[in-house]
Amino acid sequence: MRSNTVGWLMLAPTIAILGIFGILPFIYVLYVAFHQWNPFGANPDMVYNGANNFRRLVFDGEFLFSIGVTIKFAFFAVLSEIALGYLLAQLFMREFPGRGLFRTIHTLPLIVAPIVVGSVWRLMTTPSIGIIPYFLKSWFGYDLNIGRDAGAAFTLTVLMDIWHWTPLVTLTLLAALLSLPKEPFEQAQIDGANRWQIFWHITLPMIRPAILATVFIRLMDALRTVDEVWMLTSGGPGAATRYVGLHIWKIVFPKTDYGYGAAISVIVLYLTLVMCWLLYVALVAPRQKKQEAE
Amino acid sequence: MAEVAVRNVIKKYGHLQVIHGVNIEIADGEFVVLVGPSGCGKSTLLRMIAGLESISGGEVLIGGRVVNDVLPKDRDIAMVFQNYALYPHKTVAENMGFPLKLKGRPKEEIAAKVRKAAEILALEKLLDRYPKQLSGGQRQRVAMGRAIVRDPQVFLFDEPLSNLDAKLRVTMRVEIKELHQRLKTTTVYVTHDQIEAMTMADKIVVMRDGHVEQIGAPLELYDRPANVFVAGFIGSPAMNFVRGRIEARDGGAAFVSDHGTVLPVPAGTAPRAEPVAYGIRPEHIDVRDGGISATISVLEPTGSETQIFAHLGGDAINAAVRERISARPGETVPLLIDPARVHLFDDKSGARI
Ligand SMILES: Nc1ncnc2c1ncn2[C@@H]1O[C@H](COP(=O)(O)OP(=O)(O)O)[C@@H](O)[C@H]1O
Ligand SMILES: [Mg+2]
Repeated sequence: MRSNTVGWLMLAPTIAILGIFGILPFIYVLYVAFHQWNPFGANPDMVYNGANNFRRLVFDGEFLFSIGVTIKFAFFAVLSEIALGYLLAQLFMREFPGRGLFRTIHTLPLIVAPIVVGSVWRLMTTPSIGIIPYFLKSWFGYDLNIGRDAGAAFTLTVLMDIWHWTPLVTLTLLAALLSLPKEPFEQAQIDGANRWQIFWHITLPMIRPAILATVFIRLMDALRTVDEVWMLTSGGPGAATRYVGLHIWKIVFPKTDYGYGAAISVIVLYLTLVMCWLLYVALVAPRQKKQEAE
Repeated sequence: MAEVAVRNVIKKYGHLQVIHGVNIEIADGEFVVLVGPSGCGKSTLLRMIAGLESISGGEVLIGGRVVNDVLPKDRDIAMVFQNYALYPHKTVAENMGFPLKLKGRPKEEIAAKVRKAAEILALEKLLDRYPKQLSGGQRQRVAMGRAIVRDPQVFLFDEPLSNLDAKLRVTMRVEIKELHQRLKTTTVYVTHDQIEAMTMADKIVVMRDGHVEQIGAPLELYDRPANVFVAGFIGSPAMNFVRGRIEARDGGAAFVSDHGTVLPVPAGTAPRAEPVAYGIRPEHIDVRDGGISATISVLEPTGSETQIFAHLGGDAINAAVRERISARPGETVPLLIDPARVHLFDDKSGARI
C-alpha cells in the first residue's frame, strides 16, 4: 500500500490546486445561486431564497431568447468552421508555391486576443467609418448598419468567429490528415472509389476522432463567447446578439444581481454539458458499442 | 485475365531517374516475381503498373491496352500492400466487399462473393471482426481476400509477406502459390527475398538500380546467371567468387587466382588475358579425396547439411555438403569442385563468359 500513498502524495499538489481554483469557486457559485444577493439593491445582504432564482429564469424571456441566439450562433459558427477548416486543411496537404508562407499567415488570427479582434471588426464595420460598409455601399449599393440591422449584426458575429477560429480547426484537422497512412487511400483508388467516395468512406471515418474533439472544443468556446461580440455589437441591436455570456455579464455587472447571475451560470454550464453529452451519444457511442459487441 | 507488358519504361522524380528503360513481357496467367535489393525500383515499377505513380517514359499495357493515362480504378487490377492497407474502421466483410459496393452491386451478390473468398482463405469466422482484432497473418489474408473478391485481370503484390514472421511467411508463400494455381490470374509479385522469388515464380525479373539484370525461369537463373550480380543474388548460401585469370595448363586451361590457387574450369574453356571472376556455388563443392586441401575456419552444422567456411591459400571459400564433417576448425579438408558447375564472368563488366 506504500506505493499508493506515495502516488497520492505526488498527486496532492495538483489536486489541491484544482480544488482551490476549480472546484471551490464552482461550489461558491452554486451556493450563491440559491441566494438573493444584490449589494446595491434594496437589501444588500445575501439572503437564502431556495430555488427562486431558478424558477425566475424559466420564465425569463430575455434569458430564454439569449439561449436561443447563442445556440443559433454556435451552430452556424462551428459548422462553417469545421467545413472551411477541413477544406483549408486539404488545400495545405497539396504542394503549391508559397504553401509555407500561406500556412503561417493563415494561423495569425489565432494569436490575436478576442478583445482586439472585436475592436478591429468594430472599426471596420462601423457605419460611415468602417471600410466594409463603405465598399458594400459603393460596389453593391448595400447599406450595412450593424447598429440597426439585427440580421447583419448576427451574421457579422458569426463571420468574426469564423475568421478568428477556423485556423484552429485547420491546424487540428491538418495534423490528423498528415498522420493518416497513405496506403488505404491508394487502395481505395484501386478499389474504384472517386474523390467523394474516398472522402466519405475513408477520410471522414479515419479523422472522425479529430473532428469530434475539434467540434467539442469549438462548441464549448462558442457557447461562452463574450468579449469579441461585446466589442463588436455590445449584444445589439436590441438583444439580437446578446449571447448568454453577455447576458450573464449584464446581470452580474451593471445590475449587480449576483444571485440570479450565479443561477444562470450554473444552468448554462449544465446546458453545455448536456449538449456535449448529446453530441457524444449521437456520434461516438453507437460506433463504440458496435465495436465492443465483438 | 490478361497479359501485361512493360516497354522501355522510365521513371524520374524531378532530375532523379530511378527506372532506366525496363522491358518485361508477362503472359496471361503467369506468376512473375520482381526481385532485387532494397531501393532498386521494384515498388516504383509495380506502382506504375497499378497507376499509383505516373509513367515518365515508355508504355505499360494491360490486356493489350496502353494504360499510361488510365486511372487505377479503371485498370482492373487488385493490389496487396506490405502493410495490408486495410480500412481500419470497416469489418473484414466490409473491407472485402468494398470494391463491389463501390461498383453498386446488390448486397446479396456482395455477401455471396465475400463468403466465397472467405472460404478460400479460411476467414469465415473473422468476417465481423475489425482489422485491429486480427493477427498479421490474418490481416494479410483479408488483404488477399479483398483482391480475390474483385476478380481482377491482374494481381499486384508488394512485399506482402515482409511483415510476417519466418514460419508464417513460408505458410503464406505456399498459400499464395496455391491460390494462383487455382485462380490462374496474372500476377506480379515484388520481393527482396530471392527464396520467395525462386519458390513462387514462373518467371523472375532480377532488378538492380532501376535496370533489369536478367529475366528467366528460376532454375534458368540459377543454372545460367547472366552476370555476377544475378549469380550472387540468386541462390542461398551465396555463390563463391574468386578473382584471377585463366591460363593454359596441361594441354587445357585452368583458373589461377590472384593468390595463386589453381581451380578447375569447364571443359573447352580457352585461356584468357583479361581477369575473370570465378564463381562456384557452395552446394557444388564436395568434401572428397582428390580435392584441393583447404583449411577450415568455421563449421556450421544445421543437421540437414554442413556449411564449411574455409581458406584455399589466400582465398576464402564456402562449401555446403550433405554429410556431417568430423574435422575441426584449423584442420584441412579436401574440397572437390565440379568443373561443369563453374561459372566464369568477365571481371570488369561482370558479364558471363
Ligand atoms: N517519391 C519519391 N521521390 C523521390 N525518390 C523516390 C520516391 N519514391 C521512391 N524513390 C526512390 O526510388 C528508388 C526506388 O524505390 P523503390 O521502388 O521504393 O525501391 P524498392 O521497392 O525496390 O525497395 C529509391 O532509390 C527511392 O529512394
Ligand atoms: Mg519496395
